[in-house]
Amino acid sequence: MAAPVALSIAEQIKQLDDARRLVLSDANYYPQIIQGILPIINREARIELKRWVADFLAETFASPTVPSQQKETLSLIVLETLKSMLENPHEDSAVVKSVVQTAASIYPYVFRWIVNNPYDGPTWERMTAIKSRILRIWDSAPTGVRICCIKFAQRVVLVQTAGPDADQRRGNPVEISLSMVPHNHPLIPPRNLEAEASGLLDRMLGVFQENVSDAVLVNATLNSLSILIRARPRISNKILNVILNFNPLKQANSPMTPKLRVMVKSMEKTTRSLLIHINKRDPQNPLAGRIQQYVERMMKSRMEIFDEPSRKRGPPEPTDGLDPTKRQKLGAQVTNSAASRLYVPPLTPGPHTIAELFTITTDEALKTFDVAQLSEDLVLKIGIPILQRIDSDTLNQAIEGIRNRYQSLNAAQPEELNPETAPLGVEEDDDDYEPDFYSAEDTEQILNKLDTAPPEEPEVRAPDMALGTFTLSPPPPLTPDQAAQIGQGTVSRVFGVMQTLEEPGKKTKAGMNRLAASAYDRDAWITIITRLATRAAAGLEEPSDAIKAEPETSSPLSLFNNIRESLYMYVVEDFRKRIDIAVAWLCEEWYNDRIQMKLGGEAVLHYEKWVLKVLDGIVPYLDARDKVLTRFLSEIPGLSSAVLDRVKGLCRDPAMVNLALTSLLYLVMMRPPVREMALDAVEDVWATYDDAKPIAAKYLSKWRPGFADRLKAPEDDTKDTNDVTAAA
Amino acid sequence: MAQLQMADVNGTAGQQLASNGERVDPGGFKLKFCTVCASNQNRSMESHLRLASAHYPVISFGTGSLVRLPGPTITQPNVYQFNKTSYDSMYKELEAKDPRLYRANGLLNMLERNRGVKWGPERWQDWQIGVPRLDHSTDKGSAGVEGGVVDVVITCEERCWDAVVDDLHSRGSLLNRPVHIINVDIKDNHEEALVGGRGILDLADSLNKAAAEERELDPSGFDSGNAASRASFDERVPEIIGEWQERWPNLPATWTLGWF
Repeated sequence: MAAPVALSIAEQIKQLDDARRLVLSDANYYPQIIQGILPIINREARIELKRWVADFLAETFASPTVPSQQKETLSLIVLETLKSMLENPHEDSAVVKSVVQTAASIYPYVFRWIVNNPYDGPTWERMTAIKSRILRIWDSAPTGVRICCIKFAQRVVLVQTAGPDADQRRGNPVEISLSMVPHNHPLIPPRNLEAEASGLLDRMLGVFQENVSDAVLVNATLNSLSILIRARPRISNKILNVILNFNPLKQANSPMTPKLRVMVKSMEKTTRSLLIHINKRDPQNPLAGRIQQYVERMMKSRMEIFDEPSRKRGPPEPTDGLDPTKRQKLGAQVTNSAASRLYVPPLTPGPHTIAELFTITTDEALKTFDVAQLSEDLVLKIGIPILQRIDSDTLNQAIEGIRNRYQSLNAAQPEELNPETAPLGVEEDDDDYEPDFYSAEDTEQILNKLDTAPPEEPEVRAPDMALGTFTLSPPPPLTPDQAAQIGQGTVSRVFGVMQTLEEPGKKTKAGMNRLAASAYDRDAWITIITRLATRAAAGLEEPSDAIKAEPETSSPLSLFNNIRESLYMYVVEDFRKRIDIAVAWLCEEWYNDRIQMKLGGEAVLHYEKWVLKVLDGIVPYLDARDKVLTRFLSEIPGLSSAVLDRVKGLCRDPAMVNLALTSLLYLVMMRPPVREMALDAVEDVWATYDDAKPIAAKYLSKWRPGFADRLKAPEDDTKDTNDVTAAA
Repeated sequence: MAQLQMADVNGTAGQQLASNGERVDPGGFKLKFCTVCASNQNRSMESHLRLASAHYPVISFGTGSLVRLPGPTITQPNVYQFNKTSYDSMYKELEAKDPRLYRANGLLNMLERNRGVKWGPERWQDWQIGVPRLDHSTDKGSAGVEGGVVDVVITCEERCWDAVVDDLHSRGSLLNRPVHIINVDIKDNHEEALVGGRGILDLADSLNKAAAEERELDPSGFDSGNAASRASFDERVPEIIGEWQERWPNLPATWTLGWF
């Protein structure tokens, strides 16, 4: 890039501009171009060239198109040049301004380089030299340079304060922070860095405490703070507290020159914008309340000082509204009549008529009075004098009240938007852009519009003022699979509810004369769910043997088996507490089976299958003292030998013998219809398990007549069996 | 760039006008501008054209969520998406819908003007600051803003100023580049947009004059104690706006210095 001497400055600049155009279109050329242009600037270089290079460097290191890694590499190359330009006391201030901007952009990248390459002392020395030079000229340089020094300091604070843990490798320079530095780093001990950052932050914030009149510096500081507040939680409170103690309107007391007016308004507005931004970003922040108060106070003082109502969302000003004397008069009236405030009660939620919208009296009797009954001239006689004499302030308050009501009504019906605009993805839309183009309409158009307007009706509902209604087309029909899936969803929802409902405490017996599932407690839901499982599909199932052979076959009715499965899981999850649910459910199954059998036909029976399944689910987890088994066996409506087989099986574990036999004994004692079956089971136990023999024998001799006799002839008995065995 | 010769040329008083009334390009240092309104249609585009015609580098944006143009009634606006719909297609659509209405309310004239300036409305919040804008080279005023940054943002409504400042807070000022953000309150109709455009051009001239003066050669150097004797451009901005406000009392202004 070394231009021949013969070229004029203008020609050289043009060449440089071409080079810049090249890198702007393809960022890959940056390393080449940067290395090419660095040699052309030295202390003797023409100022135009120096400015060009400084501007180019500032642009390069700020550019979002240059990858972060490339910036890191390039930053090492340019450090020496930046340092020499900064240290030249006769340097042009535009050059210095760009150099300081560049320094602010490269600081995080050099910092990251040093974190990962602790041996590179010379690079860090250069960076430190640049830093101390910038901090030295911070107070003495022209304002344009000073604001860039402020920004540089902000960048250093951002880097040298611990950030929230984040992936350091990511490109975002905001994430380069003190958290990346190891404690024992030889060049940049984190403790020193943090102290330096804290000192720099104090120096930055000093602008709010000193009696500075320079709005440029104050604004430059305010507008650089938001990222520090948001991304560096450790210092956010300190910053916010300083801002909340700052009074941007302090200078408003001195006589206002046009310049001072601009500055004071600007500082106030900038402070307020920053605070509003912080509260919008993080409404939960601990200082949110104080910030809100500050913002409101500032707005009030601003209005008092500048006597200028906020223009936002205000009604279009009257043509003579800019006449300051008139404004003052209006303002004075507002303050005087503050005592006689007109209260416009806000509307309750829900639809309202137009009449309700405009009714501001709270007198019920007056509300019922229909003005339409009065004759027209009477209304004129009353109306005109009232309008002539009414206090304009009261009228304004009433209008404001109605306006608020109308706005709240509108706010309550955001879904009434025209469906045609819906696909455009209207977000929370605060722009009320309503251009005043209507003046261009001609009379004929206005007349046409009036013709098509609907006649005024007193009872139009207020929501009708919104746009047309939207009807949703009916959904496509469900496939059986989808239906089953959705059904399953409903079932799990019911189980979810049951989980959250309290376990029933002591409940009063409701007796027989109650309706099932009439209270919305857990029991009610259980009743609903068990009946849903057992009854809903009863008689619809196909009694097919094929299904028995392949129980996994999913039929359209598997929903009900799914409910059963869910019930089963629910019981087994905590069977000691939920055994009553199991019993209730199985009773329903048993009853339903009965009904189905009575109806004849080939009914699919469920009871037996699910009893065994529940029992199988429980048995492995029983311990020797569980009374659950006894209770379960005695309460379920039907017992079969298969059930008793499961109980017998328990005796394989000597510790469970007692439990199994007690449960059987209970059946023998309390359920006469199955007494014989239970006794057979006990005898089986006696014959099969040696550990169980003594207790089984005791029960059998008590309940089975003739057993004691058989016991007395054990030898015969043994012989008999041996014979049998032999015969077999 | 020849910064030397232009300071006296660029003053509002000393404007050279070509035979057709257009201003002759004075050359020299130029601030880069950006104009902003709600929909990037009326106010920002009027001033975009005006600044571009005065040979300033300029780009423009809207801060609204959608481009809204008046429709047959107040509840039926014509709504378009930013960055996706060209002024030309809007023009053709409205012309097909109701040429009489849209001619009468000035929309077609406005779109006609806009489609001669650039392709379509751009949204401020979608602007990637600092990304080169080489693909906008046919836009009026595009010369000088290839780098995708500006020195001065001028909004036309306080709401837009708020949106711009808030958006810059959100972006985190990673470019470390100072930018003056000035609101010039203009009512949103064609007549006021014309007046506002004149006001904005006057403001731009005043600002540029100061910026160009600053860049005149200063042999003493920035650190020589002499520096304080002449105020820098950034420092003079409040004063310039104050004086401008005296000249344009009906266009209330707000200013701050922010960061890209």
